Amino acid sequence: MNVEDRDLVARASRGDVEAFSKLVRANSSLVYRVALRVLGSEEAQDASQEVWIRVWRNIRGFRGESAFSTWLYRITVNTCLSVRQKESRREGWEYGGEEIPYLPEPPGGDADPEAAALSAERREEIEAALERVRAEHRAALVLRHMEGLSYAEIAEVLGVPDGTAKGWVSRGRAAMLVALAEADSDRNAKGSAE
Amino acid sequence: MTPVGEQERWEVLEKIGAYAAGELEGEEAREAEQLIFDRPDYRRLAESYARMLVMLSTLGNERVEAPEAIVNYAVRRAYVSAFMRQAEAFLGSLGRSYLDALVYYLGLRPPRRESYGGGT
Repeated sequence: MNVEDRDLVARASRGDVEAFSKLVRANSSLVYRVALRVLGSEEAQDASQEVWIRVWRNIRGFRGESAFSTWLYRITVNTCLSVRQKESRREGWEYGGEEIPYLPEPPGGDADPEAAALSAERREEIEAALERVRAEHRAALVLRHMEGLSYAEIAEVLGVPDGTAKGWVSRGRAAMLVALAEADSDRNAKGSAE
Repeated sequence: MTPVGEQERWEVLEKIGAYAAGELEGEEAREAEQLIFDRPDYRRLAESYARMLVMLSTLGNERVEAPEAIVNYAVRRAYVSAFMRQAEAFLGSLGRSYLDALVYYLGLRPPRRESYGGGT
Protein backbone atom coordinates (compact mmCIF):
# COMPACT_ATOMS: atom_id res chain seq x y z
CA MET A 1 0.00 0.00 0.00
CA ASN A 2 1.48 3.35 -0.96
CA VAL A 3 1.65 6.35 1.34
CA GLU A 4 -1.32 8.07 -0.29
CA ASP A 5 -3.56 5.01 0.06
CA ARG A 6 -2.48 4.57 3.66
CA ASP A 7 -3.37 8.16 4.36
CA LEU A 8 -6.76 7.79 2.66
CA VAL A 9 -7.53 4.62 4.61
CA ALA A 10 -6.50 6.27 7.89
CA ARG A 11 -8.67 9.32 7.18
CA ALA A 12 -11.62 7.22 6.03
CA SER A 13 -11.38 5.12 9.18
CA ARG A 14 -11.78 8.35 11.19
CA GLY A 15 -15.02 9.07 9.33
CA ASP A 16 -13.65 11.34 6.56
CA VAL A 17 -16.12 10.88 3.72
CA GLU A 18 -13.95 12.73 1.19
CA ALA A 19 -11.13 10.24 1.77
CA PHE A 20 -13.58 7.34 1.54
CA SER A 21 -14.95 8.70 -1.71
CA LYS A 22 -11.41 8.80 -3.18
CA LEU A 23 -10.87 5.19 -2.08
CA VAL A 24 -14.14 4.16 -3.73
CA ARG A 25 -13.21 5.87 -6.99
CA ALA A 26 -9.73 4.35 -7.00
CA ASN A 27 -10.93 0.80 -6.28
CA SER A 28 -14.43 0.60 -7.72
CA SER A 29 -13.30 -1.25 -10.83
CA LEU A 30 -11.57 -3.97 -8.76
CA VAL A 31 -14.72 -4.61 -6.73
CA TYR A 32 -17.05 -4.52 -9.73
CA ARG A 33 -14.75 -6.71 -11.86
CA VAL A 34 -14.60 -9.47 -9.23
CA ALA A 35 -18.36 -9.28 -8.58
CA LEU A 36 -18.98 -9.48 -12.30
CA ARG A 37 -16.83 -12.61 -12.68
CA VAL A 38 -18.17 -14.35 -9.60
CA LEU A 39 -21.85 -13.40 -9.84
CA GLY A 40 -22.52 -12.33 -13.42
CA SER A 41 -23.73 -9.01 -14.75
CA GLU A 42 -27.22 -9.09 -13.25
CA GLU A 43 -26.06 -9.13 -9.66
CA ALA A 44 -22.68 -7.43 -9.87
CA GLN A 45 -23.97 -3.91 -9.30
CA ASP A 46 -26.02 -4.67 -6.18
CA ALA A 47 -23.19 -6.77 -4.76
CA SER A 48 -20.65 -3.97 -5.40
CA GLN A 49 -22.85 -1.47 -3.58
CA GLU A 50 -23.14 -3.88 -0.67
CA VAL A 51 -19.34 -4.27 -0.64
CA TRP A 52 -18.82 -0.52 -0.26
CA ILE A 53 -21.40 -0.33 2.55
CA ARG A 54 -19.47 -3.08 4.34
CA VAL A 55 -16.15 -1.32 3.70
CA TRP A 56 -17.43 1.95 5.19
CA ARG A 57 -18.89 0.10 8.16
CA ASN A 58 -15.73 -1.89 8.86
CA ILE A 59 -12.89 0.36 7.81
CA ARG A 60 -12.28 1.41 11.41
CA GLY A 61 -11.30 -2.20 12.07
CA PHE A 62 -8.77 -2.30 9.23
CA ARG A 63 -5.37 -2.40 10.92
CA GLY A 64 -3.16 -2.49 7.87
CA GLU A 65 -1.82 -5.96 8.67
CA SER A 66 -2.58 -6.97 5.08
CA ALA A 67 -2.65 -4.80 1.97
CA PHE A 68 -5.81 -2.73 1.57
CA SER A 69 -6.44 -4.48 -1.76
CA THR A 70 -6.31 -7.91 -0.06
CA TRP A 71 -8.79 -6.71 2.57
CA LEU A 72 -11.01 -5.33 -0.20
CA TYR A 73 -10.81 -8.58 -2.17
CA ARG A 74 -11.83 -10.45 1.00
CA ILE A 75 -14.91 -8.28 1.58
CA THR A 76 -15.83 -8.50 -2.11
CA VAL A 77 -15.53 -12.28 -2.31
CA ASN A 78 -17.35 -12.78 1.01
CA THR A 79 -20.17 -10.54 -0.17
CA CYS A 80 -20.45 -12.41 -3.47
CA LEU A 81 -20.42 -15.79 -1.75
CA SER A 82 -23.07 -14.68 0.72
CA VAL A 83 -25.26 -13.49 -2.17
CA ARG A 84 -24.94 -16.95 -3.69
CA GLN A 85 -25.72 -18.67 -0.39
CA LYS A 86 -28.80 -16.52 0.13
CA GLU A 87 -30.15 -17.29 -3.31
CA SER A 88 -29.98 -21.03 -3.05
CA ARG A 89 -27.94 -23.57 -1.25
CA ARG A 90 -27.50 -25.53 -4.42
CA GLU A 91 -24.64 -27.90 -4.74
CA GLY A 92 -22.06 -27.13 -7.34
CA TRP A 93 -22.30 -29.03 -10.54
CA GLU A 94 -19.81 -31.85 -10.78
CA TYR A 95 -18.40 -33.75 -13.67
CA GLY A 96 -19.56 -37.32 -14.07
CA GLY A 97 -18.68 -37.88 -17.70
CA GLU A 98 -16.52 -40.63 -19.09
CA GLU A 99 -14.82 -38.68 -21.81
CA ILE A 100 -11.81 -36.47 -21.45
CA PRO A 101 -12.98 -32.90 -22.11
CA TYR A 102 -11.63 -31.26 -25.23
CA LEU A 103 -11.77 -27.65 -26.27
CA PRO A 104 -10.93 -27.24 -29.94
CA GLU A 105 -9.04 -24.23 -31.17
CA PRO A 106 -11.56 -21.83 -32.71
CA PRO A 107 -11.14 -20.93 -36.37
CA GLY A 108 -10.26 -17.33 -35.50
CA GLY A 109 -7.44 -18.55 -33.29
CA ASP A 110 -8.47 -16.71 -30.13
CA ALA A 111 -6.00 -18.81 -28.15
CA ASP A 112 -3.46 -16.10 -28.94
CA PRO A 113 -4.12 -13.15 -26.66
CA GLU A 114 -2.28 -10.80 -28.97
CA ALA A 115 -4.18 -11.94 -32.04
CA ALA A 116 -7.68 -11.01 -31.11
CA ALA A 117 -9.92 -9.96 -28.28
CA LEU A 118 -12.46 -12.56 -27.27
CA SER A 119 -15.52 -12.68 -29.45
CA ALA A 120 -18.84 -11.84 -27.82
CA GLU A 121 -19.94 -15.43 -28.27
CA ARG A 122 -16.81 -16.81 -26.63
CA ARG A 123 -17.17 -14.34 -23.77
CA GLU A 124 -20.74 -15.51 -23.16
CA GLU A 125 -19.57 -19.12 -23.17
CA ILE A 126 -16.88 -18.36 -20.61
CA GLU A 127 -19.35 -16.54 -18.37
CA ALA A 128 -21.88 -19.35 -18.69
CA ALA A 129 -19.20 -21.94 -17.92
CA LEU A 130 -18.05 -19.96 -14.88
CA GLU A 131 -21.65 -19.98 -13.64
CA ARG A 132 -21.55 -23.78 -13.61
CA VAL A 133 -18.53 -23.94 -11.33
CA ARG A 134 -19.25 -24.18 -7.60
CA ALA A 135 -19.14 -20.70 -6.02
CA GLU A 136 -16.04 -21.12 -3.81
CA HIS A 137 -14.11 -22.82 -6.59
CA ARG A 138 -15.19 -20.11 -9.03
CA ALA A 139 -14.04 -17.37 -6.67
CA ALA A 140 -10.66 -19.08 -6.27
CA LEU A 141 -10.36 -19.56 -10.04
CA VAL A 142 -11.20 -15.90 -10.72
CA LEU A 143 -8.66 -14.70 -8.16
CA ARG A 144 -5.94 -16.94 -9.58
CA HIS A 145 -6.41 -16.83 -13.34
CA MET A 146 -8.21 -13.55 -13.89
CA GLU A 147 -6.89 -11.38 -11.06
CA GLY A 148 -3.44 -12.97 -10.98
CA LEU A 149 -3.21 -13.42 -7.19
CA SER A 150 -0.71 -15.81 -5.63
CA TYR A 151 -1.94 -18.82 -3.67
CA ALA A 152 -0.89 -17.14 -0.41
CA GLU A 153 -2.99 -14.10 -1.30
CA ILE A 154 -5.95 -16.27 -2.36
CA ALA A 155 -5.73 -18.18 0.92
CA GLU A 156 -5.76 -14.90 2.84
CA VAL A 157 -8.69 -13.52 0.85
CA LEU A 158 -10.75 -16.69 1.23
CA GLY A 159 -9.68 -17.28 4.83
CA VAL A 160 -8.54 -20.85 4.17
CA PRO A 161 -5.18 -22.67 4.32
CA ASP A 162 -2.91 -22.45 1.25
CA GLY A 163 -3.56 -26.11 0.37
CA THR A 164 -7.34 -25.55 0.33
CA ALA A 165 -6.90 -22.51 -1.91
CA LYS A 166 -4.82 -24.61 -4.31
CA GLY A 167 -7.40 -27.39 -4.27
CA TRP A 168 -10.27 -24.98 -4.98
CA VAL A 169 -8.42 -23.40 -7.90
CA SER A 170 -7.60 -26.82 -9.27
CA ARG A 171 -11.18 -28.09 -8.99
CA GLY A 172 -12.52 -24.86 -10.43
CA ARG A 173 -10.15 -25.12 -13.39
CA ALA A 174 -11.21 -28.69 -14.13
CA ALA A 175 -14.94 -27.97 -13.74
CA MET A 176 -14.64 -24.90 -15.94
CA LEU A 177 -12.93 -26.84 -18.71
CA VAL A 178 -15.56 -29.57 -18.61
CA ALA A 179 -18.34 -26.95 -18.77
CA LEU A 180 -16.66 -25.15 -21.68
CA ALA A 181 -16.07 -28.39 -23.57
CA GLU A 182 -19.71 -29.41 -23.08
CA ALA A 183 -20.93 -26.02 -24.29
CA ASP A 184 -18.67 -26.33 -27.30
CA SER A 185 -19.89 -29.81 -28.17
CA ASP A 186 -23.56 -28.70 -27.71
CA ARG A 187 -22.92 -25.79 -30.07
CA ASN A 188 -21.36 -28.10 -32.65
CA ALA A 189 -24.24 -30.56 -32.33
CA LYS A 190 -26.74 -27.72 -32.90
CA GLY A 191 -24.71 -26.45 -35.81
CA SER A 192 -24.64 -29.81 -37.56
CA ALA A 193 -28.37 -30.37 -36.91
CA GLU A 194 -29.29 -27.08 -38.62
CA MET B 1 -7.56 -51.61 -19.68
CA THR B 2 -9.26 -51.25 -16.29
CA PRO B 3 -12.06 -48.71 -16.12
CA VAL B 4 -10.88 -45.48 -14.59
CA GLY B 5 -12.90 -44.42 -11.55
CA GLU B 6 -14.44 -40.97 -11.33
CA GLN B 7 -12.08 -39.97 -8.54
CA GLU B 8 -9.09 -41.02 -10.56
CA ARG B 9 -10.40 -39.21 -13.63
CA TRP B 10 -10.72 -36.00 -11.61
CA GLU B 11 -7.20 -36.45 -10.28
CA VAL B 12 -5.82 -36.72 -13.81
CA LEU B 13 -7.92 -33.75 -14.91
CA GLU B 14 -6.58 -31.65 -12.06
CA LYS B 15 -2.99 -32.83 -12.47
CA ILE B 16 -2.89 -31.95 -16.15
CA GLY B 17 -4.62 -28.65 -15.36
CA ALA B 18 -1.94 -27.80 -12.82
CA TYR B 19 0.74 -28.76 -15.34
CA ALA B 20 -0.83 -26.58 -18.04
CA ALA B 21 -0.91 -23.70 -15.55
CA GLY B 22 2.82 -24.18 -14.91
CA GLU B 23 2.27 -25.06 -11.27
CA LEU B 24 3.96 -28.45 -11.12
CA GLU B 25 7.63 -29.01 -10.45
CA GLY B 26 10.03 -31.93 -10.22
CA GLU B 27 8.55 -35.40 -9.97
CA GLU B 28 4.94 -34.19 -10.30
CA ALA B 29 5.75 -32.32 -13.51
CA ARG B 30 7.50 -35.39 -14.93
CA GLU B 31 4.48 -37.59 -14.09
CA ALA B 32 2.16 -35.17 -15.88
CA GLU B 33 4.51 -35.05 -18.88
CA GLN B 34 4.52 -38.82 -19.01
CA LEU B 35 0.71 -38.94 -19.02
CA ILE B 36 0.60 -36.38 -21.81
CA PHE B 37 3.26 -38.23 -23.77
CA ASP B 38 1.56 -41.61 -23.39
CA ARG B 39 -2.00 -40.68 -24.32
CA PRO B 40 -3.16 -38.43 -27.15
CA ASP B 41 -6.40 -37.61 -25.30
CA TYR B 42 -4.38 -36.28 -22.36
CA ARG B 43 -2.28 -34.28 -24.79
CA ARG B 44 -5.46 -32.74 -26.16
CA LEU B 45 -6.61 -32.14 -22.60
CA ALA B 46 -3.42 -30.21 -21.84
CA GLU B 47 -3.90 -28.15 -25.00
CA SER B 48 -7.51 -27.47 -24.04
CA TYR B 49 -6.42 -26.26 -20.62
CA ALA B 50 -3.83 -23.99 -22.20
CA ARG B 51 -6.52 -22.48 -24.46
CA MET B 52 -8.89 -21.99 -21.56
CA LEU B 53 -6.22 -20.34 -19.41
CA VAL B 54 -5.37 -17.93 -22.21
CA MET B 55 -9.06 -17.05 -22.56
CA LEU B 56 -9.41 -16.48 -18.83
CA SER B 57 -6.33 -14.34 -18.73
CA THR B 58 -7.45 -12.34 -21.78
CA LEU B 59 -10.82 -11.72 -20.18
CA GLY B 60 -9.14 -10.90 -16.87
CA ASN B 61 -6.92 -8.30 -18.55
CA GLU B 62 -9.82 -6.49 -20.15
CA ARG B 63 -10.54 -3.15 -18.57
CA VAL B 64 -13.77 -3.11 -16.60
CA GLU B 65 -15.22 0.18 -15.45
CA ALA B 66 -17.68 0.15 -12.57
CA PRO B 67 -20.94 1.96 -13.36
CA GLU B 68 -20.91 5.49 -11.95
CA ALA B 69 -24.09 4.63 -10.05
CA ILE B 70 -22.09 2.34 -7.74
CA VAL B 71 -19.63 5.07 -6.81
CA ASN B 72 -22.41 7.63 -6.32
CA TYR B 73 -24.44 5.26 -4.18
CA ALA B 74 -21.46 4.35 -1.98
CA VAL B 75 -20.45 7.97 -1.43
CA ARG B 76 -24.04 9.08 -0.76
CA ARG B 77 -24.49 6.29 1.80
CA ALA B 78 -21.24 7.26 3.49
CA TYR B 79 -22.33 10.92 3.73
CA VAL B 80 -25.70 9.94 5.20
CA SER B 81 -24.02 7.58 7.63
CA ALA B 82 -21.46 10.21 8.68
CA PHE B 83 -24.27 12.76 9.15
CA MET B 84 -26.23 10.30 11.28
CA ARG B 85 -23.17 9.58 13.39
CA GLN B 86 -22.63 13.30 14.00
CA ALA B 87 -26.31 13.90 14.65
CA GLU B 88 -26.32 11.03 17.13
CA ALA B 89 -23.28 12.42 18.91
CA PHE B 90 -24.78 15.93 18.95
CA LEU B 91 -28.16 14.77 20.24
CA GLY B 92 -26.43 12.57 22.77
CA SER B 93 -24.42 15.46 24.16
CA LEU B 94 -27.47 17.77 24.03
CA GLY B 95 -29.54 15.21 25.91
CA ARG B 96 -26.82 14.84 28.52
CA SER B 97 -26.68 18.62 28.96
CA TYR B 98 -30.46 18.82 29.44
CA LEU B 99 -30.35 15.97 31.91
CA ASP B 100 -27.55 17.68 33.82
CA ALA B 101 -29.57 20.91 33.87
CA LEU B 102 -32.67 19.07 35.11
CA VAL B 103 -30.72 17.30 37.81
CA TYR B 104 -29.25 20.63 38.87
CA TYR B 105 -32.68 22.33 38.77
CA LEU B 106 -34.31 19.67 40.90
CA GLY B 107 -31.40 19.72 43.28
CA LEU B 108 -30.76 16.03 42.89
CA ARG B 109 -27.02 16.31 42.55
CA PRO B 110 -25.17 15.91 45.84
CA PRO B 111 -23.16 19.05 46.61
CA ARG B 112 -19.57 18.82 45.56
CA ARG B 113 -17.03 19.14 48.24
CA GLU B 114 -14.79 21.89 47.18
CA SER B 115 -11.31 21.92 48.39
CA TYR B 116 -8.92 24.76 48.25
CA GLY B 117 -6.09 22.71 49.46
CA GLY B 118 -6.45 24.02 53.01
CA GLY B 119 -7.24 20.70 54.62
CA THR B 120 -10.46 19.92 56.54
